[in-house]
Parts: sequence; C-alpha cells; structure tokens
Amino acid sequence: MTSTPLPTGGPTLTATARDRVVDALRGDGLWLDLGAATWRVQSDSGVFADQLRTVYGGFPFQPSGDWADLHCEIVRPAGLRRWLRPQVIFRCDGQHPFEPFPADSPLPLYEWGGNWLAASRLNHLLLLHAGALERDGLALVLPAMPGSGKSTLTAALSRRGWRLLSDEFGAYDPVQGELRAMLKPVALKNQSIEVIRRFAPEAVMGPAIPRTRKGTVAHLAPDDAAIAARGRGARPGAVILPKWVADAPLQLEPIPGQMLFSAVAFNAFNYRVLGRTGFDAVVQIAQRCPGWRLTYSRLDDAVAALDQLWPEVQAHHRRQEAA
Amino acid sequence: MRLPGADGRLDWLQALRLPEQTLAWSLADWQRVVRLARRMRLLARLACALDEAGLLPQLPVPVQRHLRGEQQLSRTRIAAVLWAMERVGTVLAATPWPRVLLKGAAYIGQDLPIARGRLPSDLDILVPREHLAACQAALQAAGWQPPEMDAHDQAHYDEYGHEVPPMQHALHDMELDLHHNILPPRNGVLLPVERLLARAQPSRFAGWLVFQPVDQVLHSAAHLFNDSAVRDRVRDLVDMDGLLRQFGSTPDFWPALVARARELELAEPLGLALPLCAQWLQTPVPAQALAALQPAGPGRPARALLLWLFAQALLPDEPDVGPTLAQRLATKLLFVRFHLRRLPLRRLLPHVWHKLRKLQQGPAVPAAGRELAQPIHPPADAPAEPPVSPPAAPAAPPR
Repeated sequence: MTSTPLPTGGPTLTATARDRVVDALRGDGLWLDLGAATWRVQSDSGVFADQLRTVYGGFPFQPSGDWADLHCEIVRPAGLRRWLRPQVIFRCDGQHPFEPFPADSPLPLYEWGGNWLAASRLNHLLLLHAGALERDGLALVLPAMPGSGKSTLTAALSRRGWRLLSDEFGAYDPVQGELRAMLKPVALKNQSIEVIRRFAPEAVMGPAIPRTRKGTVAHLAPDDAAIAARGRGARPGAVILPKWVADAPLQLEPIPGQMLFSAVAFNAFNYRVLGRTGFDAVVQIAQRCPGWRLTYSRLDDAVAALDQLWPEVQAHHRRQEAA
Repeated sequence: MRLPGADGRLDWLQALRLPEQTLAWSLADWQRVVRLARRMRLLARLACALDEAGLLPQLPVPVQRHLRGEQQLSRTRIAAVLWAMERVGTVLAATPWPRVLLKGAAYIGQDLPIARGRLPSDLDILVPREHLAACQAALQAAGWQPPEMDAHDQAHYDEYGHEVPPMQHALHDMELDLHHNILPPRNGVLLPVERLLARAQPSRFAGWLVFQPVDQVLHSAAHLFNDSAVRDRVRDLVDMDGLLRQFGSTPDFWPALVARARELELAEPLGLALPLCAQWLQTPVPAQALAALQPAGPGRPARALLLWLFAQALLPDEPDVGPTLAQRLATKLLFVRFHLRRLPLRRLLPHVWHKLRKLQQGPAVPAAGRELAQPIHPPADAPAEPPVSPPAAPAAPPR
C-alpha cells in the first residue's frame, strides 16, 4: 500500500477568506488529509468554520475531492433548537450517534465524534491509544495510561523539535510496519492548557471550552512542518510510559518487552478486532522497541531526558539492523 | 408494477454476485458504494466476494483499505458468534432437545455464501416454548444475564413477544436472543412453530439444527415485513436472494415455498419479498410463484400499495442526499401499521402512555449539554470498543 498523494500547493485554511471556507463547508465540504486518513466535513455553522480555521489552519483548503475515508457533518438541527439554547449535532452517513453539543462549541464534538468514527472504521490500521512523534525517522510512542499526561507531553515535544504524528491514535500500519500520521489537533484538558500556553506561547490554540465531561478542553494546532510531512510514516523507535508525579525527580527506568506488549495492546482501540494481525503487530513493536517508564514533574526535564535518550534508541536500531 | 428503485441505482448490489463488474467503477463510484454498503452492512460481504474472485489487489488503494478492514471486522464478529454458539450449545446440552440456529447463525451453520462477510452482533436461537424456562434458567446459571426491566416491559415481552429479553454475558461480546417462535403472536395467535421444528435439519455444528430451506426464506420474509423499522434493511432482501438462488433450483422448491407460505399464513410477507427480490436483485423467481401469491379481488390494490410503501422505505437513500419525502412518509406509515397490527388499540394506548411517562421521568441517555460525546446507539457494526478518550482525565502536570 502506498500513501495517498497529498494535495500540493494551494492556500491553507488560514490563508483562505473566511467566506470561502464557510461556503465550502455549506457546500460539498472540506477535505482534510490528516495523513493516515482523509476526513470530509460539512457544516452550516459559522462558529465551527472559525474554530476549524484556527486549529486546522495550516492544512490546504481543499473544497472538492473524489475520495474521503470518513464523512461527517456538524449541523444545527432544525426546529425550536435552532433558536432556543441552540445546539449542533454530529452526523455521519445518516446516523447521529451522539448527544448534541451547545452551538458555541462544535469543535470538541467534531473532534470526539471524529475519533469515534476513526476508531470504528479504520480497521486496516492498528489504532493504538497513544501519542506518537517522529525524530530522525524513528517514532516515539507514548501509550495513554490514566494519569500519564500523555497529551501534555506530546504537545510539549511537538514544540521542541519532535514531529507530531498524532496525539490520540498511534496509527500503526501492519503492512508497512510504520506509524502513520493522524494529524488531529492535540486535545488539552484543564490545567494542561495553561501549562502548554506557558511552555509554548507562540503555539496556535483553539478556544478553551469549559464544562465538557472532561472539564475544560482546548485544541493545539499542529505546526506547519508536521503538516507538510504528514504523508511520511515512521518505524516505531521506542515506547515510553510517561507518569507525571508532583515534585518527583526525573526518572527513566527500562521496562521489559512483555510490559511493553500489554501497555501497547490492551490500550489499542481495535486490538481485538484485528485478531492475529493485531497480535503480530504488537509483538513486532515490543520486540523491536526498547521501552522505559518516565516519571517526571517538570515538562522541560522530561523533554531534555528524551532528547538525551534518543541517540541510544537510534544506536539500538542500528545494532538491530546490523544483526 | 415497476417498483421505485428498479432504475439502476441498486445495480451496485449485483457486484455481490458478479464482482468483476466493479473493475469498471471510478473512484467516485466506489466512494458512493463504500458508504452505501457500509450503512447496509454489506461492505464486508462485498469484500469477501471480491477477495474470493481474487480482485481485491486490482482496486484503488483507499478502497482496498476499507474493504480489508471491514472484512477483518467480519472475521472477528463471526469468530465471536461461533464461540458464543459453542458455549451456549454446551450450556444447553442438558436441556431437552431440540434447539435451532436462526437467521445469520443458521446461514453460518450451513456455510452458505450469504454467511460470508456478516457482522453478527447477536446470536439468535430457538427452543420449543415448553423448554424455554429450563433453557433460560440454565443460561442464566452459566452467566447469561437478562437486561434490567420494569414489570410493564417484562409483561409486555411475555404476552406479546416471541423471545425472552436479549441476554448478555461478561465474556461474550455478543447478545443472545432466545426465541420460542419466529414471530410475535398475530391477533393473539402464535405461528405453529412445531411444524417448522418437525422439518428442521442438522446444521454443520453438532447439537444445532436449522429450519428447512423454504422455512428459512419464510422466516426472513416474515421478519422483515413484520418489523417496525425497515430502513436500511436491504440486506434482508440480499439474504433472501441468496437463499432463493441457493435452493431455488431443487425440484419442487417453488411450489413447496408457496404452499408452505399459505399453510403458515405467511403469503403476504412472501408476496412482498419476491417481487422486490426479482426487480431489485434480479432473483430468478418463476412467474407462477409471483402470480400465485397475488391476492384476488379487493386485496389486490391494497397489496400493490403496501408493496410500493415497502419499496420506498427499503430503498437505500443516497449518501449526502437523505430520504425523500415519499420515503419518510412510507417509513412512518409502515411504523404505524406495524403497531396497529401488533397490538389492539386498547393495549397500544396504555403501552405508548407507559413509554412516554418513562421518557419523561428519566431519559435513558444523558441530557444534552456540555457533555463529552458518547455514542447513544453505536451502530451494530461497531462492537464495544475501549473509550475514545482515556477513561480518567489525566492529571495535568503543573510546572
């Protein structure tokens, strides 16, 4: 399987006039190629157009296309609800599987709905519930454990020279043996929003949306370099199980392969669906990648430790290839 | 009568039998079909047909990905239903004989072509009514749990149902539907299921029977045309088409089918199914069979209207277009017809009242608002998955 050719040239969403984006969303939709999958989205909500233009601003403005992997709509329902405490709903191929959201916060609905859609429909990929970033052709995989601060660390690394592949889906292609990009914005929750704002004041972030089930959520836009390279996959390099502990000194402990296996497999969205393919893929990752548990309290320390660690990871893979 | 939908827009369904014709499709054609077929729960079936013909590698790469992914989902679902079948068979080994596989499980139990690429989310089985309580008790002792239900709903199931409430098991990602009949009572009378049981045949799984072929066709037709919701159910017609092609060439199949339909008072659903199969799927249906099922006299225009309504309701609406006014109207009318036929008004009104009150007291789904989106009714092709977002919000690391 080859990667789908990326739309070349053309203005980005940010560089396109708002009216044209609104019109495209009201018409045939916008095609968003995120790397491993192309989304097509339609909407009659101007608020959504604005929010989309902020966090997907660096993506090409593509108002037509022959193919999209996932089709969804963010629409304002007809009837009384259009005027009284207005809402938006998420629709995909005639279904509307979610509760509506308030009309002023369509972006989290689109993001969460899109995650659900991807997790149930992209079964040609093993979808790890993990952050993934690339450096020197190798991918760093950060499985999501409760309390790990995976998104925060992923966001921080993506602002310090690591190429963001994905925050939510480690999209592993078992045929190519590579992680593919799934370049959705990084969903930051609660205090993480302020943490990342201070860590990277220049980063583009969508509005902070309060009172979701996850608390306040804000979306960090991927940077232009990550967007330009989204067609390129990366072999898995290392698995890091991050753990944030208040005031703890930084600590990196190697962990054995069987622990990596369970951390990667049992956290994946579609591990069971993929059956043997999924098992073989996770075995491959666990055999090839060294793994560490990273305990940290300061983001800067964690980023520095991973920067330092990476030559060792590269050496490990060179030795493995030579053998 | 030419039915709506016989205008070429269902031609893609032919690819299930003749996969070569997909080689002429453009990427835009495929885009439409992948979306339609997934919604109709036929995408994995199409993938299997293409795979068996060795055509998958010739298709556009993005199409291959979706077909292979859905095919894998189907493998997992079929493995899950086989496992449930095996475990349930063991649990019921000590209860009195017989037990029958229904619908998809029956097609799998005969290894029919229509069994390939299914996405089963439940296992449907049938036991005689007199053994129902014993089977239910044995299953419950083995961990198959009934859903929580109030007294009204329980009584409603007992009086108007043909099955016990769907059971679930902690180890099985599969619902178990234990039936004692193939249809709910009609005007208070149950279908004489003992006549179906008398002709049941062995399946390829020890300890499980399937109904004889004509009864399988009738069950499928009865199920589709006696249901409250028929939208997006064209797959049921594809199943019937598969059964009719599989067994239709056996001598005396068609006269036996028509005779059995009359005997079981299922001539109406069969009379609706056959013209739809013939016009939409080019099923080879003998003219005598079609003619024999036409009602005489004043029943004739009524049947034609009913057939038109079902055709409108069953016709898959196009992606990005949605159902037409006629389709929405037909769907609503058939819904009302279903409920009026199923329950006399003096029972229907209290039932509706009960449902409305329950809705008012406490919604089954979380109230709208700034809540994280959770599937209200995940489509059956999406079996239970880990939550899309982490189960607990990660503690953010303050600096």
